[in-house]
Amino acid sequence: MIYYFGTIFVLVLIAPILLSYIKATKMLLLFKRPISLLQGYRNFSKLLQKETIISEESSAVTRWAPFLVLSPLLVILFFLPPVTQGAYYVSFVDAFTITGLISLSTFFLMLLGLDSASAFGGMGSSRESFIAALVEPAMVLTIFSVSLMAGNLGIGQAGVNLAEHFPKEHMASFLFAGISFFILLIAENGRIPVDNPETHLELTMVHEAMILDLTGVYLAIIESAASIKFVIFASLFASLFIPFGYGLIAPLAIGVFILKLFLIATLVAILEVNTAKLRLFKIPNLLGLSIVFAFLSLITFYVLGA
Amino acid sequence: MFVFDTLSLVFVALILLGSVPNLFYSFGYLPHIERKMHYQLHYFAFIFSMLGVVVSANALVFLFFWELMSLTSWQLILTEVKEKSTISAAKFYFIMTHFGFLFLLLFFLIVTNGDLEMGFVQMKTVASVFAYPTLLFFFLLLGFLSKAGAVPLHVWLPYAHPAAPSPVSALMSGVMLKVAIYGLFRFLFDVLYPWPLEWGIVILSLGALSSLVGVLYALSEHDIKALLANHSIENIGIILIGFGMGMIFDTLQLKTLSTFSFIAALFHTFNHMSFKSLLFMSAGSVLHQTDTKNMEKYGGLIKAMPVTALTFLIAAIAISALPPSNGFLSEWMIFQSMLSSSHIDNVSLKLAIPFAIFALAMTGGLAIACFVKAYGITFLGLHRSSNAKHAHEVNFLMRTGMVFMAFVIFSLMLFTPFYIGWFDKVFVGLGRSSIYAKIFPEGIWHMHSVGINGGIVSPLILLVALVSVTLLMFFAYKLFGVKTRIHHTWACGYKTGAKTQYTATGFAGPIRRFFSWLYKPNEHFHKQTIAGHETKFSDSSYEVHVKPLFEAVFYDSLAKSVNFVSYWVYRLAHFEQTRYAAMIFNIMLMVLFSYRVFAHDFSWATFVLEFLVMMISVKILIIGDKK
Repeated sequence: MIYYFGTIFVLVLIAPILLSYIKATKMLLLFKRPISLLQGYRNFSKLLQKETIISEESSAVTRWAPFLVLSPLLVILFFLPPVTQGAYYVSFVDAFTITGLISLSTFFLMLLGLDSASAFGGMGSSRESFIAALVEPAMVLTIFSVSLMAGNLGIGQAGVNLAEHFPKEHMASFLFAGISFFILLIAENGRIPVDNPETHLELTMVHEAMILDLTGVYLAIIESAASIKFVIFASLFASLFIPFGYGLIAPLAIGVFILKLFLIATLVAILEVNTAKLRLFKIPNLLGLSIVFAFLSLITFYVLGA
Repeated sequence: MFVFDTLSLVFVALILLGSVPNLFYSFGYLPHIERKMHYQLHYFAFIFSMLGVVVSANALVFLFFWELMSLTSWQLILTEVKEKSTISAAKFYFIMTHFGFLFLLLFFLIVTNGDLEMGFVQMKTVASVFAYPTLLFFFLLLGFLSKAGAVPLHVWLPYAHPAAPSPVSALMSGVMLKVAIYGLFRFLFDVLYPWPLEWGIVILSLGALSSLVGVLYALSEHDIKALLANHSIENIGIILIGFGMGMIFDTLQLKTLSTFSFIAALFHTFNHMSFKSLLFMSAGSVLHQTDTKNMEKYGGLIKAMPVTALTFLIAAIAISALPPSNGFLSEWMIFQSMLSSSHIDNVSLKLAIPFAIFALAMTGGLAIACFVKAYGITFLGLHRSSNAKHAHEVNFLMRTGMVFMAFVIFSLMLFTPFYIGWFDKVFVGLGRSSIYAKIFPEGIWHMHSVGINGGIVSPLILLVALVSVTLLMFFAYKLFGVKTRIHHTWACGYKTGAKTQYTATGFAGPIRRFFSWLYKPNEHFHKQTIAGHETKFSDSSYEVHVKPLFEAVFYDSLAKSVNFVSYWVYRLAHFEQTRYAAMIFNIMLMVLFSYRVFAHDFSWATFVLEFLVMMISVKILIIGDKK
């Protein structure tokens, strides 16, 4: 039980650090002086001290939506696969619930974008809805494929099963599913090449456009929601596709898990430095790739059993 | 004459749940209607006839109530004829519904041996000796799916539902379509029971196609009621996916999974009734206040109409299948039944089902996009026209109707185990074994999938967790005592105005562009450039219209071919007598030749020779010279 809550606590704490770490790695690779890993916390505390400016054009949706964006993601944190042996975990929640909760969070974020009557907000929502609609089928198919290999649809139990019996005989379909999920990780979190979280250029921004009218605590909430979403995806990827280190003794296992999260963040950073952002209408190609890999994974599993 | 088994009673409950809140709404709406007597007479007859359909026990009574249902709803569409398009929509509906009726009649004439007062049980004995059961199956499909609105018989929905007064649209879309689903349940189980595998696959593919087509056309709509009508096509598709999976599992002798899928389909039928009725009611309230169906003229209505906005939001969350709503639960069940397809031995079938999963998942994603659009453009932002500016909340009765319907949604969400237990009894009544204990093995908290390694969902825990976390944060924020300032939205130094907001057309823009191969949009772009500069213009307008592909290809080409045939019939009627004689001669020739072909040995040489002789004589004697 202590490990269960401990892990959740660590994940929440590590979330802003991970995003700062990605940014710092990118800066390092571009020969810039990197920002501190605690930059996320600095921004957070700065935003907490500010007053909230609420747009005159907006409605009750703006007052409630930030909380509704964050709360489904916080709930998901309790459903993630266990990091160490013997840690209590919620075995019954399946992957559909998790994707559904993520969609719920995105739904309110998109409404938030439309609420302030600004052209930017609508633009961001429109683009986000386009991307989210294409992510959904890839997500479901990937989950289906992984659940076949893990022998369980419950995400917690699947993580444990994969860690205990790594599916060596299904390595091909496992890899395909992994590739597909990594593309989804990038797309859902608005990283390059799908969205660039660092610019505020109307041609490119998706996530930033929706939250352009928020300040203070509301912005802090949305920013932490974004970082928690990244942690959720990273830890899902770590537990389902890099299922090692689960059997170690508890503190060590958690340490290995955190290392895996940083490994994934490094991968994302390297990818971001080496690719350019795609045009909005090229994104379906990338997501189509993810759908194709998910199908491939299923077909290899069914036909070849590999 | 009447039957009151669990299946019938479940559908009676569905109709009552759908109509009672609608009654309140309808009475609130009544002052708006001029022909009050006409409206009320048909409205009550409509509800009565739907109840009649689901309890009737022989073909004659069934057909009587079915026809009464079609005719009353047809008259209800014609209650308020303000535009010419209403009349043509009603005509279209009339034709489509009688197209379906024709096939139902054919079905009944065959399975009852002409004795229409025969009960359903005797029909089964007649049907089991009939040589072509697939023919009967297709009669049923054409009959019921033309009413339910599945592809390719869905074209009338986006015309007929918006044309009717709002309470009637809610009833038609929410309840009447479900009566057709009842028909499928009743006659596939009672009359045509042992199903070949292909039937299930047909229904599954129709469902997958309908769900995608419905949601894609919903996205391209600006007319809010037509958008909702297109979503009905989508949801009927989802119900059919569940139904088709049930049929496939049943033929493959996976009875537990089959019952699970059927329960999922039935649950989604209920859920769709609840949220689609509510959506039509809320949209009707908006329409009532703004006098326009065009979404581009709405905006900012949440401030003037908070109750309508809240109820629409609840229904939008439910129809987008977001947890923990009832829509999510039924879609979860349908997904789980499809994921259990790994139990199937037939590899090609096993490989085909992921495509249906893909369709359903894609539908879910697009539905979210569509309802963000519908809600955001209608209720959020600034009002885009003076119509929306002068709107205010609707009267008490209409609000009561909407709130009641929201309670129906909540009841389906909170009392899921109760409803599932009830649906389970339906299938026990139809000769299956009960699987309630397998879905809820540990009490009402966790809902299990019945497949091996299936998932588990716990709606109540999820709901409590979400609500408590949100409220906790909200009160923490309040305790925090943050200073709040109200100010205009920042618009890059320009004035924030209604015209700079995203429009519904613009919102769906990326998706429309991605699917332009399907939509083939008809774009009207006009701009008044200044001094010949492409980028400087004083005035511009952009409009885009999408004509459904099915309508353009299927129905229009049908109309064209009918025209073509009628031209030849016209020519025929104006022949001279010698031509008629020639035709009689040719027909005799054809009878003789075909007799030879069928009765004696077939050889290609004589066939070709005789065919040539026929062609020449037709050409010379009948067609003659071209003028």
